[in-house]
Amino acid sequence: MFEINPLRKRQFYGILIGFVIAIIAISSLLFIKPAEEYLSIGPMNTGHEGFSCNTCHQDAKGTWMQQIQSNSEHALGLRKKMVEFGSLPVTTKKCLSCHDRDNDRHPTHRFLEPKHKKAIQKIDATNCATCHSEHNGIRVSLAQGNYCMNCHSDTKIKDDPIDTPHSELFKKGMWSTCLQCHDFHGNHQAEAALFMKDTIPLSKIKAYFKGGDDPYEGVKKFKALSEQEWIKKYTKK
Amino acid sequence: MNTIKLNLKKLLLFISLLIVSCGGIPEESTTSSSEKKAFSVADVLIMVAHENDITRTLYTKAIVGGGKKQGFKFDEEWQDEKVEAGPLPALFLRGIANDIRKGDVPLGLYLSSDFPISASNQLVGKQADLFKEIKENRKPQHFFDEDSKLYTAMFADVAGAPACVSCHNNHPKTTKTDWKLGDVMGATTWQYPADSLSYTEAMSVLKAYRDGTTAVYNDYLEEIKNFKETKKPEVGEKWPSSGNYLPAPEVFIDSVRKLSAYVTMSSLMK
Repeated sequence: MFEINPLRKRQFYGILIGFVIAIIAISSLLFIKPAEEYLSIGPMNTGHEGFSCNTCHQDAKGTWMQQIQSNSEHALGLRKKMVEFGSLPVTTKKCLSCHDRDNDRHPTHRFLEPKHKKAIQKIDATNCATCHSEHNGIRVSLAQGNYCMNCHSDTKIKDDPIDTPHSELFKKGMWSTCLQCHDFHGNHQAEAALFMKDTIPLSKIKAYFKGGDDPYEGVKKFKALSEQEWIKKYTKK
Repeated sequence: MNTIKLNLKKLLLFISLLIVSCGGIPEESTTSSSEKKAFSVADVLIMVAHENDITRTLYTKAIVGGGKKQGFKFDEEWQDEKVEAGPLPALFLRGIANDIRKGDVPLGLYLSSDFPISASNQLVGKQADLFKEIKENRKPQHFFDEDSKLYTAMFADVAGAPACVSCHNNHPKTTKTDWKLGDVMGATTWQYPADSLSYTEAMSVLKAYRDGTTAVYNDYLEEIKNFKETKKPEVGEKWPSSGNYLPAPEVFIDSVRKLSAYVTMSSLMK
């Protein structure tokens, strides 16, 4: 393929060894915790700051060479299933290992029911990442707060307590007003306002989406596990 | 002149040998996958739906119905700190469904109705069509949901205790006020991703449901511990029918086991 002049032999091997050492050194440094922010594709979302990569990105089975071999075998029809390469995909189940709670008003699994088929074609509420796409340095990654319209356009409120009836808000397409009283996961103890003027301004909701202060009053019913609590819960003693 | 020749083919062969020498990752073969698939998904869902009927009826009759006579309260907002109450039967079921989803058994459970209290539980589409048949003949409906690629079964949810009827008829947000005992008030929908199950898998489904029941019942007892204004019932061997008592989780589950044993065992021994 190519030839090396014997006079350049030492130089060639010197460069080769130096190159290998450099690759190993850089790779080792990149995978230590202080270097993780350089590997990350973007800043962690609100509340996830300081997480280790491994909190979400669990290593796939085997070494990368074994993974290459297994997937090559699969490509040649020598094994039934492919294996994950590098790390396992981050699934909703992974998110729920810290965020799952019984009092969630919109738990992801409920949207797996056949009747929600049309709704999840518009917004995949079975997947946390649909609204909370990671590595964006914010809390909610949806641009608009009008997603309630995907399921609640037919909702009827009996003895509607607010001064501007819900039916009127729906009719006018004022879907961003929903969040001015109701947080999607129902994680706050607060009572909904009875007058539109008392509802939370949309600007505060949007700021909250971007990682700002919690605009909903009242006690939080549930707090997600911290990384340490998660480790304690899931690491076998 | 001596030259060192690096051949591309040899280099590729060396890399390939290096990779192959590592050995691949063994194919996953669980014990259950090598087991004989002894049950159809329909059989297993019928079995677990029966277990659910027994659990729901026992909870509704003995805990909710019996408890109300002792002054116990049950509320939709039972997990709110301000509310000192236990879960209503529908929320008890939802709690079980939530708990099942936390585990590794891919079983889905939902409760819906044509006249639900909460609009989110309204039956629509194919489920609504099949429910009409269920209301007429009370027989389960089995189908493969093409969209989710899940085997699905719907079962009648019958008003089996006076508390079902009275609570739904008198609920401020009710959409129907003339429910009667024995009416088909809704349907449970169950989903599973395989058409047949091994004995181990069938047992796992049953266990997931029972574990869910225990988990929600324990959540209820935890709520009771935090009651400040309401008199706390004594938890142990006795039931509300005897006074200010609640059965311990193992007592409640034991009763479910006894009541469901014949049908469950018959299903498993097929």
